[in-house]
Amino acid sequence: MAATTPPVSRKQSRGMSIGQREALTGYLFISPYLISASIFTVGLLIYAFYISLTDLRETFSRNFNFIGLQNYITALTNRDFQISLVNVIWYALIVCSLQTVGALALALMLNAKLPGMRIFRTLFYAPSVASSVVISLIFLWLYIRTGFINYFLGLIGLPNETAWLQTPTGLFEVIGQQFNPEFRISNQFLRGPSVAWMAIMAMNIFTTIPTLMLLFLAALQDIPEYIYEAAQIDGATGWKAFWTMTLPMLRPTVVLVLILGTIGTLQVFDQVAIMTAGGPVKTTLTPAYLIYTKTLGSETSAQAGLAAAMAFILAAIIVLITWMQRRFIEQSSERL
Amino acid sequence: MAIAQERPTTTVQGRRDPRLPSRALGLAVRYTLMSLLAVIFFAPFVLSFLGTFKSNQEITAWPPAILPSEWRWENWARAWNVQIGGVEGNVFSKWLFNSIWLGVVNMVTQVFFSAMVGYGFARIRFPGKELLFTFILATMALPGFVTLIPGYAFYARLGWIDTYLPLLLPSLVVPFGILVMTQFFKSLPVELEEAAYIDGASRFTTFVRVALPLSRPALITLAILQFQSSWNNFIGPLLYLRSPELMTLTVGLNYFKSQFRTEWTSILVGSMFNAIPILIIFFIFNKYYMSSGSTAGLAGQ
Repeated sequence: MAATTPPVSRKQSRGMSIGQREALTGYLFISPYLISASIFTVGLLIYAFYISLTDLRETFSRNFNFIGLQNYITALTNRDFQISLVNVIWYALIVCSLQTVGALALALMLNAKLPGMRIFRTLFYAPSVASSVVISLIFLWLYIRTGFINYFLGLIGLPNETAWLQTPTGLFEVIGQQFNPEFRISNQFLRGPSVAWMAIMAMNIFTTIPTLMLLFLAALQDIPEYIYEAAQIDGATGWKAFWTMTLPMLRPTVVLVLILGTIGTLQVFDQVAIMTAGGPVKTTLTPAYLIYTKTLGSETSAQAGLAAAMAFILAAIIVLITWMQRRFIEQSSERL
Repeated sequence: MAIAQERPTTTVQGRRDPRLPSRALGLAVRYTLMSLLAVIFFAPFVLSFLGTFKSNQEITAWPPAILPSEWRWENWARAWNVQIGGVEGNVFSKWLFNSIWLGVVNMVTQVFFSAMVGYGFARIRFPGKELLFTFILATMALPGFVTLIPGYAFYARLGWIDTYLPLLLPSLVVPFGILVMTQFFKSLPVELEEAAYIDGASRFTTFVRVALPLSRPALITLAILQFQSSWNNFIGPLLYLRSPELMTLTVGLNYFKSQFRTEWTSILVGSMFNAIPILIIFFIFNKYYMSSGSTAGLAGQ
């Protein structure tokens, strides 16, 4: 485009109307996205779906057949996939709820108009800029039997002998063993999340709270002052003001934090890949990690077609759950 | 949008509270609690930073001591000079360099193209705009994992495995960036651009000369977030980079850990190579980070 041409003659060029000319400019501006999205979003999705309908095993292989929806049936009846889904649902439930409550509590504490709040905000947020790799490596060390986690637990008088990331005992077994040391649950699906898995959950909650705190803080600061003053006149202070005024106004942020949390936790991968590789006895196996091993496995263990089908099932579950969260919270707001 | 208005941090509310002593006590409790929390949030980093100076026996000894018995600065030098098979020279410096240039290239391209596409959506009328924008929002709700791993098969067929192409090309322009920039340009007054436009500047010139300089705060916020996401990216390089020579620091660290499981001090020093630069960036650009809360909030609406 010639920058110096007067607008009138430019608009009349090539026999296009002003509107057509404008539209062409628009498409040129968004062309990077159009090109990128058609290859790497739409193209990849179609390709991924096509792969999921084949019996492709080793990724580089050119030897595969079309087998329809067989992979989807195989995936749903695959024991490892079922275990990984149960694991990740525990993970999402516990991590999402605790990190949302924790982030909100932290934001409320920081929202006060007191000196030093900016410094605390900065200090709280800083650790969350570190990568999941660094966090995982650091906690891998903190969680060893002779590590600092056990050391601090010992200082406050708690049991300090646990090898956190090697313990497959389920939560319900741990509770039962408080009463009967021999307590075991034979069904793998009913044991609850393992000690190793809960250790990773705790780490994840700890590192995500500051990021989500920032979202709540931004929303809290958007609530106009007069609303609190009005509430105060009505006699609503403290907890009552929080439940009747603040929380309803934060509803969109709560939805956002829950949805972001759900999408993130259901795809959890980095921590598992670095810390446990799915062990002990598959109690930290997640769908994302399973899909990864099935895609990149050796020639005998790779099942790329099946892995693609699992990825679509996981995506469908995530979309379904986030949609339900949105609906549920919107409906509950209508009832109020 | 972008930059959250910094509220004046007025000291304690003007009104006098009759229950002054209990208020002072409340404040003391609040500050103590927050200081304690700050210590807890920082503890893992401080403990592992101190751990980098311990010997390999001391670092797994029971009971663990917070301070090293002797400050072994040579641990850092040793980690820096670590060599592994298949890589010429020092691995950590190589991985660090790869992470830096990938982060910078990703940041520059993403910021420029996000701004360009965002400008198109915010300012120019063309058929299908609403539909396309809805499509962008929909792809943001799509879990990244769906295309990530089957993408591996796709790039394998293209011969892109063990090159940087899968880490650069698909992320030239990302939905999050487009969304942020579109909302930002919509919040800018259009008059300045109209003046330039009437003066005969083309749309593109107006975008580069007028709109871009005005959007500095949004561009900086976006740039930091994109650099950080590239710097911290793990699964991408893990999938697409095979040879240790090409790895970034994140996957390099994981590779190093799998090779030298008991070399805790070197693992922790390597972690510091990754964590310290991003922490420095955070403290320098702190105010842009704090505004990212409202940016991300906006992305979710």
